[in-house]
Amino acid sequence: MGLLSKKDLKLITDPLADNNPITIQVLGICSALAITAELKASIVMSVAVLFVMGLGNLTISLMRNIIPPKIRIIAQLIVVATLVIIVDLVLKAYAYELSKTLSVFVGLIITNCIIMGRFEAFALANGPLRSFIDGIGNALGYALILIIVGFFRELLGSGSLLGFKVLGDSIEKTGVYAYGYENNGFMLLAPMALITVGIIIWIQRSRNEALIEDN
Amino acid sequence: MAKNIESNLYTMLFTTGMVVIVGALLAFLSSSLKDKITENKRIEKQQNILYAMGVNENDKNSVIFVSKDKVASEFSKYITKQLVITGTDVVEDDKAYLIDLKKETAAAKIEGYTRRLPLFMGMKDNIQYYIIPVRGKGLWDAIWGYVAVDNQLVVQGVYFDHAGETPGLGSNIKERFFMDDFKGEHFLDGDLFKGISVSKGNSDPKNLDKEDFEVDAIAGSTITGDGLAAMLKKDLKMYLPYLKTIKQ
Amino acid sequence: MEHLELFFKAIFIDNMVFATFLGMCSYLAVSKKVSTAVGLGVAVIFVMAITVPLNWLLDTYILKDGALAWLGPEYAVYDLSFLSFIMFIATIATMVQLVEIIVEKFSPSLYNSLGIFLPLIAVNCAILGGSLFMQSREIQTLGLAFNYGVSSGIGWFLAIIAIAAIREKIRYSNVPPPLRGLGITFIITGLMAIGFMSFGGMLTGGEEEEAKETETVKVEVVKEAIDVANNEKETKE
Repeated sequence: MGLLSKKDLKLITDPLADNNPITIQVLGICSALAITAELKASIVMSVAVLFVMGLGNLTISLMRNIIPPKIRIIAQLIVVATLVIIVDLVLKAYAYELSKTLSVFVGLIITNCIIMGRFEAFALANGPLRSFIDGIGNALGYALILIIVGFFRELLGSGSLLGFKVLGDSIEKTGVYAYGYENNGFMLLAPMALITVGIIIWIQRSRNEALIEDN
Repeated sequence: MAKNIESNLYTMLFTTGMVVIVGALLAFLSSSLKDKITENKRIEKQQNILYAMGVNENDKNSVIFVSKDKVASEFSKYITKQLVITGTDVVEDDKAYLIDLKKETAAAKIEGYTRRLPLFMGMKDNIQYYIIPVRGKGLWDAIWGYVAVDNQLVVQGVYFDHAGETPGLGSNIKERFFMDDFKGEHFLDGDLFKGISVSKGNSDPKNLDKEDFEVDAIAGSTITGDGLAAMLKKDLKMYLPYLKTIKQ
Repeated sequence: MEHLELFFKAIFIDNMVFATFLGMCSYLAVSKKVSTAVGLGVAVIFVMAITVPLNWLLDTYILKDGALAWLGPEYAVYDLSFLSFIMFIATIATMVQLVEIIVEKFSPSLYNSLGIFLPLIAVNCAILGGSLFMQSREIQTLGLAFNYGVSSGIGWFLAIIAIAAIREKIRYSNVPPPLRGLGITFIITGLMAIGFMSFGGMLTGGEEEEAKETETVKVEVVKEAIDVANNEKETKE
């Protein structure tokens, strides 16, 4: 891939590690709490955000020289809202079942601070191709955290993954439930999502001391 | 182009331009896709009504509706009559299933408006079903569904759906493990209307007791569950005068 | 009385941060110092106090189903609620832009310390959430909408002050280095949220009304059933 320089590749690898939107930039937290009670929802949301961030960053970057500074926030929001509504309408017409899963998230995507955060921090000051890659990279970093949290919340909270009961049946008492194991219903509640992300941050910063905050 | 981006004139021109472009784009998309979307919604309603009365292609664990290409013929096969009840007035109307409950609820708030209650009658394996549409509020947004009863007013099946409940929690009102619990439940104690509540202290996780007027709640979805119970109570009560005439 | 009840309910029971987890990004990022937290909190109260009533007016007179009836009876069929999202966000974004201009002019230091999170108030899900809840909970009057906006904002403000105060204090505690700062904040917020769940029990009451209702239905039902049965007999004949 001769098009991508090393610097461009960093736009994808950084958010997956040292510049993760959720654990370092502190963006996109609301959806990380609300969506991650089941793994499937985490995945659907991640794909939707990937799409919106890539195209959104691209669009804003293309418009960056013509947006009047006084209304840049509104302009950015309109771009995101329009993209999300287009996705929603097209899905409703051609993939109705899928659109029902997504409609729930429409509001959460539009207000996802990662999207606006990257517009402000990157797309407004960089070219279209790099902005597009930055959007994809940050969306992947977001997806990584969402999937990890979703994985643990669904597994420990409902005993299933993607709807499949992997630990046995809690009502019929098969699998691990036969030994007295019970689902930790608390994991399904948002406070535990907060604590899970806290633990992920702990692990991340233990591995990379440069990320540790000074007192 | 020495345009002054900071100038107020430019800002206004830009705003107008953006509003016009976005407005036109969305209006164009919305109107060209409108028919497909309306058709999809219509098919969905038919699938949901049939589902509640037990006409579906469920496997062991998932909800599988009658497929889109078969639904029209299945609907005319199993749904024998559609009624619209307005006060004490009962008329037949084969477009009754298209009545929008959201609009009826809003209109009913105005003085002097008697709300229209659609009721669907179905026949399967020699059992007469009466399917009642319901609509209410969950935690974040609307919830709705259909409740199918037999002529003893015992629930024979339900279908629930939602607009924006939390995935993995409130969204589970449309999962088999929750909806299947309603089959066989009573909501009338003799002549007294009791509704069906969604209870945490049910201590009947397999829902074997069908005359306790309760189903087991979903962990982490208290408000959605309470909203569902309130919806059933309010809406089923509206149909009670008519339903009592068919109870044998 | 209704005002007082709504006021306290919005601050403690339906607290934007601890009950519905809205507005977390700015909450977590701007709570390092109490002074910046106060600045952001006040900005949030201000924006909510204005946008919630404004959006209420928009909703009641333009967006709701049948809202346009004041233009003429033929307009009552229009239901523009699908535009709610965009219109609410537009009002909020405009307000935030205004706030940004004001803050930059009157307190450049606050403007710098808030950084990216000032424009992010526009997408602060708490502010949009406030307007959306106002709509879905069908708040009846403009006064109540203003009350709700102010009290939800105060709830958010209290939450961010609390966590900022705690963060300032634990700087002197023995937090493991990788958890220092953001990590421990996440965990403490989780614990505070669990604590706030105890307020949920304050929502009881109003169930005695239900019991009385079931009795009256019985009586009406018998009368109506006779009427309906008579009607049916007539239509059959």
